[in-house]
Amino acid sequence: MKILTTVKKVVDVELNIRVKDGAIQEEGLQYVINAWDETAVEAAVQLKENSGAETSLVSIGGADNTDIIRRCYAMGIEQGMHIQDPAIEKPDSFTYASILQKVYEKGDYDLVITGKQAQDTDNGQTGIILAEYLGLPCVSNVIDMEVLDETHVKVSRLGDGGTEVLELELPAVVTVDVSMNEPRLPAMRGIMMAKKKKIETMDLAGLGASPEEVGAGAPKSEVLAFQETEKRQGGQKYEGDPAEVTAKVVGLLASEAKVL
Amino acid sequence: MTKVLVIADIKDGALKGSTAELVSKAGEIGAETAVAAIGSGVASLTGDLVQAGSSTQYIADDPGLELFSAGPYAACVVDAARQFGADMIWFGFSESGKTLAPRVAARLDAACVSEIIDVKLKGDQVEVTRPAIANKVLQQVKINTGSLVAVVRAGAFEAGEDVSGTENVVQLSPPETDARAVIQEIISDAEGEIDLTDANIVISVGRGVKDQDGVNLVKELAHDLQAGLGASRAMVDGGFMPHNTQVGQTGKIVAPSLYMAVGISGAIQHLAGMSGSKYILAVNKDPEAPIFNVADYGIVGDLFEVVPILREEIKKVRNQ
Ligand SMILES: Cc1cc2nc3c(=O)[nH]c(=O)nc-3n(C[C@H](O)[C@H](O)[C@H](O)COP(=O)(O)OP(=O)(O)OC[C@H]3O[C@@H](n4cnc5c(N)ncnc54)[C@H](O)[C@@H]3O)c2cc1C
Ligand SMILES: Nc1ncnc2c1ncn2[C@@H]1O[C@H](COP(=O)(O)O)[C@@H](O)[C@H]1O
Repeated sequence: MKILTTVKKVVDVELNIRVKDGAIQEEGLQYVINAWDETAVEAAVQLKENSGAETSLVSIGGADNTDIIRRCYAMGIEQGMHIQDPAIEKPDSFTYASILQKVYEKGDYDLVITGKQAQDTDNGQTGIILAEYLGLPCVSNVIDMEVLDETHVKVSRLGDGGTEVLELELPAVVTVDVSMNEPRLPAMRGIMMAKKKKIETMDLAGLGASPEEVGAGAPKSEVLAFQETEKRQGGQKYEGDPAEVTAKVVGLLASEAKVL
Repeated sequence: MTKVLVIADIKDGALKGSTAELVSKAGEIGAETAVAAIGSGVASLTGDLVQAGSSTQYIADDPGLELFSAGPYAACVVDAARQFGADMIWFGFSESGKTLAPRVAARLDAACVSEIIDVKLKGDQVEVTRPAIANKVLQQVKINTGSLVAVVRAGAFEAGEDVSGTENVVQLSPPETDARAVIQEIISDAEGEIDLTDANIVISVGRGVKDQDGVNLVKELAHDLQAGLGASRAMVDGGFMPHNTQVGQTGKIVAPSLYMAVGISGAIQHLAGMSGSKYILAVNKDPEAPIFNVADYGIVGDLFEVVPILREEIKKVRNQ
């Protein structure tokens, strides 16, 4: 089984994000591997260990993605591709999906594992659009996966009514939720080996694609401006005798907030 | 005139409140609105769909649509959108909506925007507002294509007071089942519980409640208040609460009148799911817990002491 995982480098959401004149301020930001993609990588590496799968990953974006690719190598991914091209301007999920389509078509993969969403866009679209473009079946929000045979996997996804269990025919695309697994911490040995491993870097031409073909520079939607979300103001905190403070707060919920 | 197709949110055979909210918003921006209902037995909801304010109702009612299956459901939406000539397709905030929207957009070559909280028509131009980066920023997004598929964030729009539509039912033919992604079963994990996204009061448990006994303690309070019972990811991952109770960036977005966070620290990913609540009450023994930065009312104390007192006091004020 050949697996392709997709990995994006995203802004660390734990840090402060400041906006000025409609733009996010670069100063003070840090970039990390998207949490959902780390889950995808862990899932792929487990399939390698348990079912002998071959594992590749691709990351599209800025110049400095090599650190996250090396981290994934250290986790156990065998082959990494980095795609960058100045023509990829204002990409939306369709742009990324179109580029991933080109990557897929070059590689003869059985399974694509993407994160459910990128922590910077919170879109949750790319993997699903990719599947549509490829005409492949797709299950999103996956929390469990089991190989049945060479061409079938059993997946569980979180749906509205509970956990939906599906039998999925390969080739297919799945998008995974962070609750699927606990990504391993790379061991020292893996980190050392990852340093020497080759990363295949390509531009669109190298992929055999023109900017127009993948919609680079012509997104279906684009962000005009950002603004900081208004922060909620914390109210009163009550400390002391539990009976007293609780009675007081309940009184306020009834009389002031009128929500009881 | 702009045409908006709203996809009905149906749970346990009933129409959810979000559908009327989306239809009302479409009316507010001056659109003609149709609703599509997909499932088994959904034809019986036609009256509710009209009452929500729609002028056309697309119905895909078929036993084969009993269990959610993304491929066939998407095919129904695409069919309705084409017949109606929809400029926009709006889904409510649900797992099915989130998984269908990109599929439908790809098939219709439309733009796709997740979690919108506002939509404006500026002449021919559509602009939407949405949160991103775990709700830390809002984005103003311009749509460059003729049509848009959007998922509307829970609680973003309000239902109008006295809306009414006209009955004009169009039956959709049932699509083929998906032989490559076959749904086997749905393991329902919270049967009969109050729906979190519709509940007026939501009480969520965090790691502070420790174990099943702690959960049960809070559950009694939720029961008294007929509140929805939610959870932080820590409680879901720990196996103490069902997956579909998770509130946050990757879980449910809730915006009740009152949200009670019991033993929850207030991580950014949790806040992303509940900071739209009207009032927030936090119970936490750590006075420095970040949840207090967003809570309107905070009780600093041991939840195992506080929750039973909360129950008693609430009973008292409710009986007055
Ligand atoms: C990509 C990603 C997505 C995520 N998505 C979500 C999401 O959707 N939803 C979500 O909730 N989390 C999400 N998380 C996890 C999140 O970062 C936190 O780890 C999680 O919310 C913590 O849960 P908690 O507050 O219950 O636990 P903790 O952070 O451990 O907090 C427990 C709290 O209980 C208090 N406490 C302990 N004992 C008592 C007592 N006896 N009485 C009163 N208070 C007590 C403590 O003071 C503490 O504040 C996500 C994380 C990542 C990386
Ligand atoms: N630039 C990118 N490079 C590689 N993978 C990506 C990229 N953008 C998105 N993806 C994948 O698509 C998923 C969903 O992204 P999004 O649709 O932006 O929420 C992510 O979790 C990644 O797995």
